[in-house]
Amino acid sequence: MARYGMVIDLDRCTGCRACVEACKVENNTPRGSFWMHVFRFEEGEFPNTRVWFMPRPCMHCDNPPCAKVCPVGARYKRDDGLVATDWKRCIGCRYCEVACPYGVNCFNWKSPEKNYYLDWQDPELTARTNGAIPPYKNPDLEGRYGPEQRHVAGGGHLKGVMEKCTFCVHRVEKGLSPACVANCPLFALHFGDLDDPDSNVSRLLREKRSFRLLEELDTQPRVHYVGSGHAPGAEARQIEHVKGRI
Amino acid sequence: MKTTRRTFLKGAAGGLLASRLLGGKLETLTAAPAPAAEAAGEAWVPTTCWIGKQDCGMLARRVNGRLVKLEGNPIHPRNLGTLCPKGMAQIMAVYDPNRLKTPLIRTNEKGVPGQWRQASWDEALSLVAKTLREVRARDPRRLVWQKGRSKASAFYDTAFVKATGATKLHHGAFCSDAGYRACEYTIGLHGVLHPDFRHTRYLLAWGWNLTGAGGNKLCWITWPQQMTAARERGMKIAVIDPRLRGAGPFADRWLPIRPATDLALALALCAEVVRRGAIDRDYLRKHTNAPFLVQPDGYFLRRDGKEQVWDTGSGAPQPYDAPQGQPALEGTFTYEGQILKPAFQVLKEHLAQYSPEWAASICGVPSDHIYWLAQDLIEHAMLGSTVVVDGIPLPYRPVAIMAYHVAQQELGFQLTRALLLLMMLLGSIEAVGGQRIDFTWKLHENFKKLDEIEIKDPPYNIYLKDSKFFPINSNNSALVAKVMQDPAKYGVDTLPEMAIVHMANPVLSFGSKPDIIEGYKKFKFVVVIDAWLSETADLFADVVLPAATLEKYEGPLSATDQYTDAVALRLPPMAPLYQARGEIDIYLDLCEKAELLYGKGGYLDHLNQALKLKGPYALPLDQKPAVRDIFDRWAKSQGLKEGIAYFEKHGVWVKGSIPAKKYYGYAQEPPFGGIRHRLYGESLLRYRDTMRAKGAAEIYWRDYTPLPTWRQPTMEGSPAQYDLYLISYKLIEFKQSRSSFIPLLAELAPEQRLDINPRTARARGIADGDEVWVESHNAVTGETRRVKVRARYTEAIRPDTVGMPHHYGMWVHPWAKGQGPAASELFFTGEGYVANTADQSFHVKVRVYRA
Amino acid sequence: MAVQERLERLPYGLGRFTPAWYALAGVLLALVALGAYAYLRQLIEGLIVTGLRDLGTMRGAAWGLYITFDIYFVGVSFAGITMAALIRLLNLEALKPVSRMAELLTIIALLLAGLVILPDLGQPLRGIVNLFVYARPQSPFFGTFTLVIAGYLFASLVYFYLDGRRDAALCAQVPSRLQGFHRLWAAGYRDTPAERQRHARTSFWLAIAIVPLLVTAHSTLGFVFGLQVGRPGWFSALQAPGFVVMAGVSGIGLLLVVAAILRRVLRLQEELTPAVFAWLGRLLLLLIVIYLYFTAVELLTSLYAGHHHEVALTRALLVGEYSALYWVSMGSLVLALLLLVGQVALRAYSIPLLVLSGLLVNVAAIGKRYLIVVPSQTHGALLPYGVGWYAPTWVEYSIILGLFALGTFLYALFVKVFPIVEVPAVQGGKR
Ligand SMILES: Nc1nc2c(c(=O)[nH]1)N[C@H]1C(S)=C(S)[C@@H](COP(=O)(O)OP(=O)(O)OC[C@H]3O[C@@H](n4cnc5c(=O)[nH]c(N)nc54)[C@H](O)[C@@H]3O)O[C@H]1N2
Ligand SMILES: Nc1nc2c(c(=O)[nH]1)N[C@H]1C(S)=C(S)[C@@H](COP(=O)(O)OP(=O)(O)OC[C@H]3O[C@@H](n4cnc5c(=O)[nH]c(N)nc54)[C@H](O)[C@@H]3O)O[C@H]1N2
Ligand code: SF4
Ligand code: SF4
Ligand code: SF4
Ligand code: SF4
Ligand code: SF4
Ligand SMILES: [Mo]
Repeated sequence: MARYGMVIDLDRCTGCRACVEACKVENNTPRGSFWMHVFRFEEGEFPNTRVWFMPRPCMHCDNPPCAKVCPVGARYKRDDGLVATDWKRCIGCRYCEVACPYGVNCFNWKSPEKNYYLDWQDPELTARTNGAIPPYKNPDLEGRYGPEQRHVAGGGHLKGVMEKCTFCVHRVEKGLSPACVANCPLFALHFGDLDDPDSNVSRLLREKRSFRLLEELDTQPRVHYVGSGHAPGAEARQIEHVKGRI
Repeated sequence: MKTTRRTFLKGAAGGLLASRLLGGKLETLTAAPAPAAEAAGEAWVPTTCWIGKQDCGMLARRVNGRLVKLEGNPIHPRNLGTLCPKGMAQIMAVYDPNRLKTPLIRTNEKGVPGQWRQASWDEALSLVAKTLREVRARDPRRLVWQKGRSKASAFYDTAFVKATGATKLHHGAFCSDAGYRACEYTIGLHGVLHPDFRHTRYLLAWGWNLTGAGGNKLCWITWPQQMTAARERGMKIAVIDPRLRGAGPFADRWLPIRPATDLALALALCAEVVRRGAIDRDYLRKHTNAPFLVQPDGYFLRRDGKEQVWDTGSGAPQPYDAPQGQPALEGTFTYEGQILKPAFQVLKEHLAQYSPEWAASICGVPSDHIYWLAQDLIEHAMLGSTVVVDGIPLPYRPVAIMAYHVAQQELGFQLTRALLLLMMLLGSIEAVGGQRIDFTWKLHENFKKLDEIEIKDPPYNIYLKDSKFFPINSNNSALVAKVMQDPAKYGVDTLPEMAIVHMANPVLSFGSKPDIIEGYKKFKFVVVIDAWLSETADLFADVVLPAATLEKYEGPLSATDQYTDAVALRLPPMAPLYQARGEIDIYLDLCEKAELLYGKGGYLDHLNQALKLKGPYALPLDQKPAVRDIFDRWAKSQGLKEGIAYFEKHGVWVKGSIPAKKYYGYAQEPPFGGIRHRLYGESLLRYRDTMRAKGAAEIYWRDYTPLPTWRQPTMEGSPAQYDLYLISYKLIEFKQSRSSFIPLLAELAPEQRLDINPRTARARGIADGDEVWVESHNAVTGETRRVKVRARYTEAIRPDTVGMPHHYGMWVHPWAKGQGPAASELFFTGEGYVANTADQSFHVKVRVYRA
Repeated sequence: MAVQERLERLPYGLGRFTPAWYALAGVLLALVALGAYAYLRQLIEGLIVTGLRDLGTMRGAAWGLYITFDIYFVGVSFAGITMAALIRLLNLEALKPVSRMAELLTIIALLLAGLVILPDLGQPLRGIVNLFVYARPQSPFFGTFTLVIAGYLFASLVYFYLDGRRDAALCAQVPSRLQGFHRLWAAGYRDTPAERQRHARTSFWLAIAIVPLLVTAHSTLGFVFGLQVGRPGWFSALQAPGFVVMAGVSGIGLLLVVAAILRRVLRLQEELTPAVFAWLGRLLLLLIVIYLYFTAVELLTSLYAGHHHEVALTRALLVGEYSALYWVSMGSLVLALLLLVGQVALRAYSIPLLVLSGLLVNVAAIGKRYLIVVPSQTHGALLPYGVGWYAPTWVEYSIILGLFALGTFLYALFVKVFPIVEVPAVQGGKR
């Protein structure tokens, strides 16, 4: 079976955050919730300054600290490499969140109706959208996925439940690339079967220098970065941070 | 019409083509296995991005009539199946409950935030039509039609403006028109500067905000896609910008230039190239006016009305187009007692004053770096080399410049001329890998027009067309606002009374917000057509007409990426929300009510002309057509048998790649259509003399020099305490003032900021995140203005420069409140702050202190 | 065979609810109501009403006061069961008088620990069900829930019950409103030697079993943090032993306080002699010393050999944002240590000073718990998200306060219905 992974080409990334928006729209994530985040960094001092960018989805670790600690098995590793969250089982203890070294987990602090940025109750609007909140609500998120047929595609962002990047399981199972990958205007994001030596991702990994984030923790991320860049060290100052506000 | 996603994936020929372009090894889409029977009521329908200027093709996923997602259309050459953050997030804007829902009629006085009553379309349009008729009856010049960017110019800019006789204002003077005019005048092409990305090997990103904004003609996606592909091919980029953030990690060299000194650097590079003799003599001789003989008075030697060149063979002048002879480029010749020099010789002497050391002191960059840059350029220009494209041997000069909004500086027109001169010297204009200006080779009417301007005596029209002030004129609304305040000063006798503002938000976007506000108060009746209540509408509209966003018909829209010929239409993926309507519908109804629709000379008649609808495709002049029908006729008239159905299926009509002979000026028969590029701007001298003769002050004529000439920008006259330069630029998250309120985007960049170098900040006791006052000073009038904003440290900006992005300062939409001030509050318009072509400068000297 | 001894009336004022008691109960119940209201708001609005926020881009803390007090309460529960076990195993007659007090402290603390988990859960109902249905032993939480809340509580209850049967039987003979309750507890206990022996044996084995359980339970709590590679300040082998020792510190400390209060209120000066307090004091001293040793070792390791993230976190603790709380906590601990050392050295024990030490170490315990839970989240991001921030809201404070009030109320209620100190042997109804 395919074991998926993502390869991110830092030599191509312009830090535009279109992937962030693609993720938000595809998965209808609530305000303040960023399953995909793009770091913008500055290093060095004028005029020897370097500016660079680093997208950060969930790493879908092969040795995922988040799944290890989940007391109810809501967070688990799938055979195809995805680290999934069953939003119908999660008890909202946020243990996975504190255990994840990458800061990728997002909790639903509020009920979704109150957390989609705008008040969508406008009667003239709801009459046209059958009351969907948000109006562009993706119907695929509620379904069951994988051989285990579990609720792992984000769902309705139920209050009190943990969530994070799903690798767009609802798209991947249809044979589509994840929303962020499909949309990246610079084709900096790549998705595919890391076990297949002929896949685009495997080829990229062979052709370019690569690294993974916090490899020393042995989390074994399935997200690889390629290009001339390096992992952000102590000298990387984040600029233009996105701070989730709810 | 109901095409599924799958069809698009299968038919993604454009996508494949694109990935080949991008190096051939990038799989951007995984082919989809047949999806289990498409869910009932689900479809992917094509439309176009509503926010940006390059109209990226989109597919809207529609589930039971409800739009669920907008994705890039994989076959659209401009975006290849992708969208920028604005394109992606705009689905939220479509459904925004804060959109205008009905027409509004003002109930309070103007100049203050509006109070409104909802009106029916019939009432609102009747009111507008009635006023329109009255105003036109008095004098059509009393009507102004103002647009930002037009998405159906045949319908609006042409047919409506012609049918009403309105004076047209646009946003070009705030965008890049100084550059446009310089390119039209110098090379005859309509555009500013961009490279031939497939072949360029060395690029000067001259104020190109490549990670944040667009660059020439396009909005964003296309250029960065071509840039990364070019870099993977080995192209190098040198960045000339006071800020590095725009270029991001793609800068191989960064020259952090002092703002507004670009002309000095460009001249020094020209001088160095000339000094080293690295010039394309063949091109200069054959395709420019470089060999034209210049008299001591600065005008060309003409005999029988023809410019002359020095024939080295016969030792005498001869007409420039004489078939034989060896025209001299250099030397000083005496003929019939007159000292004559080829224009190139004049240039060479002119450049002698501009050494790299001289430029270094002005531009604040080390002279070594200027030498390196010149060296890089010369090395990569590969003078003398040729390459065969599409079977045609063409000169190969793979160096180019990308410069766009940077043209909006006080010396912007002459700066762009100097950049062109540099590329001309290296022979890279329209060569393979060289300097591009337009997407195809198409001589623009302004090449001739701008050379033959007749400067008139007053009275002038409101934007001072053909005036002694701004003979080459980019139609600047901020100047209009100045004229409205003091018409006598500019010799203007008729002021407009009515304005229709279409898709523009001058109060926020155009320089000098206070001037705009004062000026626009003078309009007696203002109609704003917008999807939101813009700030301009809030303050000045008498009537607001709610426009649809992307759920409407518009076009035809160019879809070319400079290598592929394509055209698209905006199609409504659903019926307009609320009571909003597509603008074309609005104009049809308005014209009907104003009795301008039917018959010869009416709107429909002008529409037929603008869309070139003839014979069976022509619209009957006696009945109001459905908008879809108009586009159907247009599509059929273009040779598409299916008519509009083709677009409803594919979204874009990709006609194929543009062949070299349509693309490169060199590939024309004769090359460049036989025109001579204007190295030497003789007519500029003529304008200067006329302006002086007609009594215009020096501040107006001083930059009308035949060769770009450096002087200190006016703002340098501000007192020493205004020790910092303020510059402005765009953020990738937003488009002008039309998206900062989209919550998904606002969340990413929630607040206005002042980019400041930590060194500069610390010296002023300013910590990262502190609130500061930014106070600007007008060196001509002494006026000062200030705004409060949060300082943000960045090492990617010159210590003597601070930056404030565009986009902020909106106040109507609930999500835009509290985002901080508009940068346009701090910029000045008028003398000293507009270019000699009436183009707005986005530079001013400021001081910054803790609030 | 009847119980030989006979009480004339219930000891220690059992069953007599004074106005002062009612006043106290009223205040406590009002606080409980406040906590309940706060929780209701949280149930309706979601955890948005707390100061908790996501890590990463939200730069908050996902765990805060609730988890802090969860560890604190579990820590406090150390006291009772340790006492009981030590008394039983080492035959420490001297400490016998505090044994039931301590056990009650354990039970109530465990109850609170269990309860405080609920407001921390986003889906409390699912929590109750799924934690059993889908329990995963691999999760360190499993340890917390099973060993601590379930096993530990169960063992304590059994122990407590057995230990109280004799007194229940004694009390059951006195006619009172509580007679039924006492009878129920006594459940036919008659204090025959055989029964006594059976009890002693069960208690002994329970005590034996409880000691490893105790170490394990507190260790698993330490493992909740100590096994997390990705959080500076957490990942440490000392986390588990540290938790055990700190549990002891806070538990014994609180026991000192509770014992002193009861001694006063119930006039137990005879039963609770200064010697008892001295014993507890010495035990406390020992534990503090061990704890300080761990702290020093840890500090040195992270400062000397730590990754820059560790160092940054340690700086935040020592001189940065958390330094006030850090130094207050460490100061309290050291002050308590000095007080104790002084008393031990002089062999002169003062109950007020011992109580003060007990209070100080509890301040330190709460402070240190907070410093373990929160800074590693706000200042421990391994990717450069920037420094985070957490401040509890009124909801969190109210819920914690409500739980404290609930615990105190239960304790106050218990001492009015059951002898908190073993009823001394009486002859013919006389002491
Ligand atoms: N995201 C986004 N994209 C856009 C737009 C938008 O609003 N948002 N707008 C579109 C439009 S209308 C346009 S015109 C294009 C503009 O496209 P660009 O011209 O690429 O973009 P700007 O942000 O206007 O660029 C200004 C750049 O010039 C630099 N600069 C300022 N002053 C000087 C100077 O004196 N010398 C030099 N050398 N550099 C200077 C600034 O630092 C900045 O990097 O972008 C288009 N694309
Ligand atoms: N400080 C600073 N100022 C700048 C710049 C800068 O870099 N810095 N850049 C300048 C540049 S390059 C430009 S091009 C100008 C642009 O300035 P403008 O052309 O004024 O552009 P917008 O501000 O986007 O105004 C567009 C208005 O049209 C409305 N609108 C959008 N789409 C539609 C539609 O389909 N129909 C109708 N009827 N209305 C619509 C929007 O809601 C908005 O109110 O700004 C300039 N101003
Ligand atoms: S969309 Fe692509 S280029 Fe933009 S930030 Fe994401 S990965 Fe980078
Ligand atoms: S990145 Fe974090 S959430 Fe994702 S799999 Fe790894 S540990 Fe789990
Ligand atoms: S929050 Fe949910 S997914 Fe995460 S550890 Fe707890 S139960 Fe598992
Ligand atoms: S893979 Fe899907 S869920 Fe994950 S970041 Fe990308 S778009 Fe979001
Ligand atoms: S680049 Fe411009 S046109 Fe394309 S999606 Fe973005 S905003 Fe729209
Ligand atoms: Mo523009």
